[in-house]
Amino acid sequence: MYGGSLLRLSLFSSRLGVFTVAAIVAGLSAALASNGALAAGTAVKIGVIADVSGSAAAYGMSQKNAYALATEDLKTGKLDAGTASVTFDVEDSASDPAQVVTLTQAFTNNGAALLVGPTLSAEAKKADPIAVAAGLTILATSNTAQGITSLGPCVFRDSLAEEQVVPETVAKIAGTWKPKTAAIIYGDDNQFTKTDYEIFAKALAEHHITVVDVETYHTGDVDFRAQLTKIAGAKPDLLVVGALVDEAVKIVAQAAAAGVNAHIVGGNGLNSPKFIQLAGRSAEGVVVGAAYYAGDPSPVNAGFVQRYEHDFGIAPDQFAAQAYAAAEVIARLAHDGATSSAAFCSGLKSVHVATVLGPLSFDATHDASAPSDVMIVSKGRFTLLK
Amino acid sequence: MLIQQIGNGVFLGAVYALFACGYALVFGVLDILNLAHAAIYMSAAFIALALAGAGVPLLLAIVLAIIAAGLLGILLDRVAFAPLRRRNAGTLAPLISSIGVAIMIQGIARAFFGSDDQPFPSGTFATAQLQIGSLRLGVVDVTVLGVAIAMMLALSSVLRFTSLGRSIRAVAADRIAAALLGIDVERTIALTFFIASALGGAAGVLIGLEFNSVSVDMGARIELKGLAIIVLGGMGSVTGAVVGALLLGCVETLSVAYISSGYRDAISFGVMFLVLVLRPTGLFGRRSLRAA
Amino acid sequence: MLAFFAQYSKLVDQAGINALLALSLSLSLRAGHLALAQAAFMGIAAYVGSIGAVDLHWTLLESTFAGALAAGIAAAILALPVARLRGIFLAIATIGFGEIARVVEINAPITDGAEGFSDIPNDAGTLAIYAALLATVAALFLLGRSKWALAIAATREDENAARGCGIDVGLVRTTTLVSGAVIAGVAGVLYAHANFFITPGDFGFPRMEQILVYCVIGGVTSSTGAVMGAAVMTALPETIRFLHDYREVTTGALLLAIIILAPGGLAQLWRRHA
Repeated sequence: MYGGSLLRLSLFSSRLGVFTVAAIVAGLSAALASNGALAAGTAVKIGVIADVSGSAAAYGMSQKNAYALATEDLKTGKLDAGTASVTFDVEDSASDPAQVVTLTQAFTNNGAALLVGPTLSAEAKKADPIAVAAGLTILATSNTAQGITSLGPCVFRDSLAEEQVVPETVAKIAGTWKPKTAAIIYGDDNQFTKTDYEIFAKALAEHHITVVDVETYHTGDVDFRAQLTKIAGAKPDLLVVGALVDEAVKIVAQAAAAGVNAHIVGGNGLNSPKFIQLAGRSAEGVVVGAAYYAGDPSPVNAGFVQRYEHDFGIAPDQFAAQAYAAAEVIARLAHDGATSSAAFCSGLKSVHVATVLGPLSFDATHDASAPSDVMIVSKGRFTLLK
Repeated sequence: MLIQQIGNGVFLGAVYALFACGYALVFGVLDILNLAHAAIYMSAAFIALALAGAGVPLLLAIVLAIIAAGLLGILLDRVAFAPLRRRNAGTLAPLISSIGVAIMIQGIARAFFGSDDQPFPSGTFATAQLQIGSLRLGVVDVTVLGVAIAMMLALSSVLRFTSLGRSIRAVAADRIAAALLGIDVERTIALTFFIASALGGAAGVLIGLEFNSVSVDMGARIELKGLAIIVLGGMGSVTGAVVGALLLGCVETLSVAYISSGYRDAISFGVMFLVLVLRPTGLFGRRSLRAA
Repeated sequence: MLAFFAQYSKLVDQAGINALLALSLSLSLRAGHLALAQAAFMGIAAYVGSIGAVDLHWTLLESTFAGALAAGIAAAILALPVARLRGIFLAIATIGFGEIARVVEINAPITDGAEGFSDIPNDAGTLAIYAALLATVAALFLLGRSKWALAIAATREDENAARGCGIDVGLVRTTTLVSGAVIAGVAGVLYAHANFFITPGDFGFPRMEQILVYCVIGGVTSSTGAVMGAAVMTALPETIRFLHDYREVTTGALLLAIIILAPGGLAQLWRRHA
């Protein structure tokens, strides 16, 4: 009785299976074919993985914009790659680690000389080892967690880690305002914000500032009154905000109403024109320690800011700046003849470029060596804190 | 601080309540968990934002957005639930269907509005604060609370005093009997979706205004909380949804204030779990819809 | 073909793991129980297996065994309080369980919380994943031939009638929940060992929705359906990459189309034309 149905089951399930596999292979082969072959000669293909859609899209979009601008600047000569023809192949990983992995593997196979990205540190930790195993050099522009550059011998990043920026920020505040107590609020379900908390806590301890309250929130929260009311009760001199833009805006906007009378300070996450735009008046006086100062009057940066605003209608944020700086470095290396992954790796070790982030090079651990900026929001703009 | 925290909890709960009412209504009438409710909540906020940005006076923009949400709800029913109803497809299929529609709505919103948090145009509303005793309130918060209460009272009156309300309760109790009694079941269901989605949309607009931010992802967090609320309050009971929401708002706020903000969600869902296990019908529930 | 594999081996691995997850959910769904805790079981096993592999130097086999065991125990414990719940109530309770598990993972110091757990040995290759998948499919196939299959189907059709026939419905529920959890646990450990790094966010409600979608698209009541659904949905983002900004809308539309036009999923579509 079972034999017949078993036979039928195995027959049509095997037909079904074959059909499905065939359909998928066809689809993927088409996708593979559309990736295209590499042109011969001095063509340099840079693979870029960015979260252009999905939950991290705000950052990925800035990065995509920066590469679009870089491509334009290469054509008009604002970026000089010499005789090399540099193309940025920007792929959207939709904030999905699985897609980052798949795209990374694709780039190890289709002639990319360098992998730029991915957007988030958590994605990088899953995908970078694949590129490392295949000998593809990686230049990250927005990974700030610990343990990224140690993933391989050719993993670099031009994004200053919080541990490079925060100590200087706290030192400056300690000198300027001499706070005795601090409270910290941070996102406990996000790698960046949690690391922010730990590094701030350490820096505060080093300056003998007592932490009187620590509160957490979850990504996506909009109502912080409960935490802020509690913090207000502890009467801190300083409020440290370990958050990304969306939550930071609301925290800062709700803080005064909850009775918090403290200087507010945040890390890289707050370094975006959107922060000022959305928080409005409550952003006044907020100190942000960051890797990029949009108001830097150097000709390289001023031109970049102006062209970016012209093309995209908004001032560039830190993500855009770090991505563009990567493009500047790549242009220099391509100009000097780098066309292979190995060439980029050795080139990055010793390169010095004046970028929109300031003078940029990479230190012994392949982390960025660039100035950090301690800024304060004054009259609706980021200005350097004296 | 306790009073302030309870106040915070009530404000939080008020908007949760508006959102949860819509869930409870649809579940009570149709036994469906509509996971596209949060997407409609988000769409209404964007519609209000777009209208306000185009110069429409704020009050009108809000009203239009709420109506638009209601219409979206009717469309949702036509596309995602009605075909399955005709087929008697059970409870799993509508759930998945609603997930499909939710993903589509999110995709469309993202294509139109991008993924950023967007604020209402500046100067849209007052940012003044009031102080009553030791309680600190924002004018916006009080307005939101007021509107939420007004809408829920309106819903309650509709359900209890109008013939539409009677039809809804009849369909909720027994669809076939209601049809036999001459009630136009499909029209009643469509109107139920209109009301439920309008309430959800109102919640979206109010939250967008209260925190001055509208984003494509705003539905995700409230969606799961909404589930916890209707379980707490009793599935299918609108009163339960309101009480459950206020209760949950206070539980969350007080657990942040006195326990730990890290475990806040675990406590909320833990309470929900406990209620489900000890009293699956929740505080007020019977499986059928009760008048508020 | 070799070039294809070199380019897409990671995708193939992902499809295998997702197929295991879909199979684990299909067990409960076949018994008519909307027990949506697969992602949580996956997470529990992934963390147990990873912590063991890194701190106690377990081999892949030991990790998998320990992870699956942990998931099974969690399921057995979960089965007790939810024993009386039906339909949507069960779904919500299990979703709540998943959220609680995720919050614990975020806050427990041993998991490194939101920073994620790193340096997991990368020893789960395509061979290991597909061996596990094959073993599971074979086991479910044998299950399909046994009296258990009848008991499960009866429970789905009409629980009261099944009880009347002498079927221990409670046992059916617990068994499908626990065995599903074990399969999800195996998938979880393999996931961790194939990805170098895990965070609590990998195992939350979005993952659960994904697994549910695999089962529904493929066809809820068959193993073939679950595997097919997983394969198609895993490959989908890559095959529609040319749609750029419209991928999300397309995915939603596809889901809607399948559920309205072919509620039995792809498996049903094939049966109609076979």
